[in-house]
Amino acid sequence: MSDVAIKVSQPVTLQARLNEDWLAVVIGLLVFGSALASIGGIDLLGWAVTTSVYADISQALNPFAKAYAWLGGGGALIATYVAMLAVLSVGVATLGADVRKFALAFTAVFAIAYASWIAGSYAYVAAVTPAEQQKFGIAWSLKLTNEGGFIVALLAGIVIANFFPRFADWLKEAIRPELYIKIAIVILGATVAVTAAGRLNLASSLLLRGAAAIIEAYLIYWAVIYFIARKWFGFSREWSVPLASGISICGVAASIATGGAIRARPAVPILVSSLVVVFAVVEVLILPFLAQTFLWHEPLVAGAWIGLAIKTDGAAVAGGGITESLIMAKAAAEGVKYQPGWILATTTTVKIFIDIFIGIWAFILGYIWTNHIDKGPNRAKPSEIWQRFPKFILGFILVFVVSLWLALGSNPQVAKVLPAAAGEANVFRVIFFVLTFFSIGVLSDFRKLWQQGFGKLAAVYFVSLFGFVIWVGLLISWLFFSGFKPPLAS
Amino acid sequence: MSRQYDLRDEIDAAEVEPLLPIEKKLIGWSLGLGIAMLVVLIAVNHFVPIKL
Repeated sequence: MSDVAIKVSQPVTLQARLNEDWLAVVIGLLVFGSALASIGGIDLLGWAVTTSVYADISQALNPFAKAYAWLGGGGALIATYVAMLAVLSVGVATLGADVRKFALAFTAVFAIAYASWIAGSYAYVAAVTPAEQQKFGIAWSLKLTNEGGFIVALLAGIVIANFFPRFADWLKEAIRPELYIKIAIVILGATVAVTAAGRLNLASSLLLRGAAAIIEAYLIYWAVIYFIARKWFGFSREWSVPLASGISICGVAASIATGGAIRARPAVPILVSSLVVVFAVVEVLILPFLAQTFLWHEPLVAGAWIGLAIKTDGAAVAGGGITESLIMAKAAAEGVKYQPGWILATTTTVKIFIDIFIGIWAFILGYIWTNHIDKGPNRAKPSEIWQRFPKFILGFILVFVVSLWLALGSNPQVAKVLPAAAGEANVFRVIFFVLTFFSIGVLSDFRKLWQQGFGKLAAVYFVSLFGFVIWVGLLISWLFFSGFKPPLAS
Repeated sequence: MSRQYDLRDEIDAAEVEPLLPIEKKLIGWSLGLGIAMLVVLIAVNHFVPIKL
């Protein structure tokens, strides 16, 4: 919910949230469907821009498919920008946004975010192995992999939020991290399915272990953090519920869903959400590097830990992407080459399992509140479970099931070309990740932490996150995932 | 923005609401059920290890 944006004066309606979810499903399916056309020999997305690690910037950009080589890197970049601008403009128009303002702001957002991505692919930033350094003729590099571009985009957003607040305000129509990450997650269904099809046993084992994440987030984290907020910090019930949900379940969405369920004033979960975003940024900047340093020999533990520790879908799934790159780079330097996709798939599985139950948890809280605490005529109804269900997950499941069927249940010819089609869709997943990182950065006004009254909210978050959530998440991840590695790349 | 500042003032000025029995029950049942289910899952994890 980009619309998280910290403005309490704008009431966020449940309707708007659902529309954004469905919009993510539609756009995600559009990308997936277009990519699938390549199986039938019609390449609809081959013009999409990709970025390689480079020492000479003229070599950085290329169209995805060789058939579109005539476009050149610059042409592919412009084509990608125009296509995304057109699709997203139509999309946000259905949300009631000002399309002209969106188009102008999106142009700036896309330009800065993609420039950050290109900067992150510079060999001095991205090259990992000595062989790569030799290939680019450089003596050293930061070894961040090309996904270090996510960090550059995040930092660019943070600089704008904290030093150019008027520019950040001007960009706000296109600062929609939740929409971008939801589209990316729908598209990600294809990559996860292609990865899972290669090792179905491992994939189904990971799914079973996703259940542990649900128990941890809803039954253990939530109860402890609610108790801390109420008993130690003296927060009212109206504040404690969204705060506990934001820190324990899934940042923004859970905070707003449970806040609505207990009939809190809309401004309360929105204010909590702004805090969640700020802390998620801090986590994304720290945890992947800790995972690389201390958990590189346990990649699946690292993936699950990121999914359990980082709140908000955007930061968690994107953080899983960075963690995968960093750990694979470190393992490659040690001579171990893992198949890509497994760490990110673990993070995504954990996060999606947690998301699925938001509606049910909100209903349980709503039932208790409206029947036992604040009794009134506006009682919670079972239909709210469906109303609050994050619909973009349906898009992810549909893409996952169709891709898995194509990989395993259809003819071998289709299965053979499916990874290339999924790869084409993945180009857009990466771009939506970059947009998410930049947008999260722009929403991260650290000065808010020092503003009056916010300190107490931040203190609950700090105590819970660094004193409890991170460590319990690590313990649970270790208990369920240690000793099992992703398959080696052939 | 003034409503935002009102809310922040409200956080500082709010009187402490004591924990109601139903809240204590919610916290206790959540934690108890969560720990019990985790123990079950750990047992399942032990007897049905991840298959590669």
